[in-house]
Amino acid sequence: MNGEWEPKIVAFLCYWCSYAGADLAGVSRIQYPPNIRVIRVPCSGSVNPLYILKALREGADGVLVSGCHPGDCHYLSGNYFARRKFFLLHELLRFLGLEGRVHFSWVSASEGGRFAQVVQEVTEAVRRLGPQKAFSEEIDTYVRDGNSSSIG
Amino acid sequence: MYETEIRHLSGELLESGDVEGIVGYAPGPLPLSAQPFLFRTSSELQNLIFNSFCGMNLARYLVALPKSAGRVAIVAKGCDARAITVLLKERQVEREKLFIIGVPCLGMLDRKRLSARFGELREGDIEFRGEKLIVRGEPVALLEFLDWTCARCRYPRPPLFDVLVGEGTREPLTGGTDGLLRLWELSAEKRWEFFSLELSRCIRCYACRNACPMCYCRECFVELQRPLFAHPAPSLKDNLVFHLGRAMHLGGRCVECGACERACPLGIPVALLTCALSEVVREHFAFEAGVSLEAEPPLLVYREDDPDAFIR
Repeated sequence: MNGEWEPKIVAFLCYWCSYAGADLAGVSRIQYPPNIRVIRVPCSGSVNPLYILKALREGADGVLVSGCHPGDCHYLSGNYFARRKFFLLHELLRFLGLEGRVHFSWVSASEGGRFAQVVQEVTEAVRRLGPQKAFSEEIDTYVRDGNSSSIG
Repeated sequence: MYETEIRHLSGELLESGDVEGIVGYAPGPLPLSAQPFLFRTSSELQNLIFNSFCGMNLARYLVALPKSAGRVAIVAKGCDARAITVLLKERQVEREKLFIIGVPCLGMLDRKRLSARFGELREGDIEFRGEKLIVRGEPVALLEFLDWTCARCRYPRPPLFDVLVGEGTREPLTGGTDGLLRLWELSAEKRWEFFSLELSRCIRCYACRNACPMCYCRECFVELQRPLFAHPAPSLKDNLVFHLGRAMHLGGRCVECGACERACPLGIPVALLTCALSEVVREHFAFEAGVSLEAEPPLLVYREDDPDAFIR
């Protein structure tokens, strides 16, 4: 199809909160952009940073990871560990100059409206950045060889 | 530097039968280079060296020793001792089977930068004098030829040892421009330009991973076939998955030794990623890897007031 470009966003939603929140948005007939592809996970703490990298590598324009609010984790502390882990990933991506592709949010099972709003915001943020090329564009390794810049 | 003392001590250890071998450095195949060596007899010890070209992290070779190996001694500069501390915390090595010969480190020199300026050099041509380096009688700034990881080193003196050789403990250098901080000062676009250029040159030989004392996984995620996280053929996107994935695995574990970067045949500054994370961990989680045997690893604990501004 030759329609206008639409961002593809992979969303890792925790089973106990955000996935239920998405469900609530659905049954409440709240409209949100159809750009997310939902992957249900047991807990935001179970999301391996490699999953996020893999999603980007396979061509996702953005990634959203969403879990329970702090203190509400079904497994008591999974989201606290997730927060530390994803803070590091967030800072690492920022260091590389790749900020804005990977998003994190807390959405509870009762926040259908909030879920729709988060998806709206994330979709808009990713749309502003345009298609994701860092991970998806094939760049020939050897063409660029010899152009090392050094820091001292 | 301290060679006589290390040799003497190592000889005593070997002869008393206290240890089966000494993990140390021997001269490498090129001038101004070193290679790791397991010294088993006192006669081999004449080959034991320690100078400013001993850049690989010897803790790497502790995890490679067979399980049946007995007690060994290891020559440890600051970063080796920090790596040993992390390995002890992670129960990869046993304290009882280890004798740590701590060596205060003056920092590692960049052979390529030195020979570009001075041509062929030999060990005797270089002399340390405070924050200056005397090369063939000509004084130059030490920071100019020091590896950037060493220029920002906070632990030239090993934080863990059984015996410390030499009385001089160098203070951390000041006044150098931290390569990491300089990068942070650039715009996001410039940083991406820099990293996409550098990482697209990676041929994925995994020399960085193999040189890393913390990369001891038997099966590395990057070589898994199922799930396939990164295709084995080098391309920027797969290189990114490898380097970002590796950096994430080293979050809160990297001891900032720079061994990965020295091992890189293409001269890619790979240590930037892991050191950047160590900096984040230091700043926000008040933790430094390998400094204390008691402190809890930062990703195994949490606080209710951890940074959360990045979460919607």
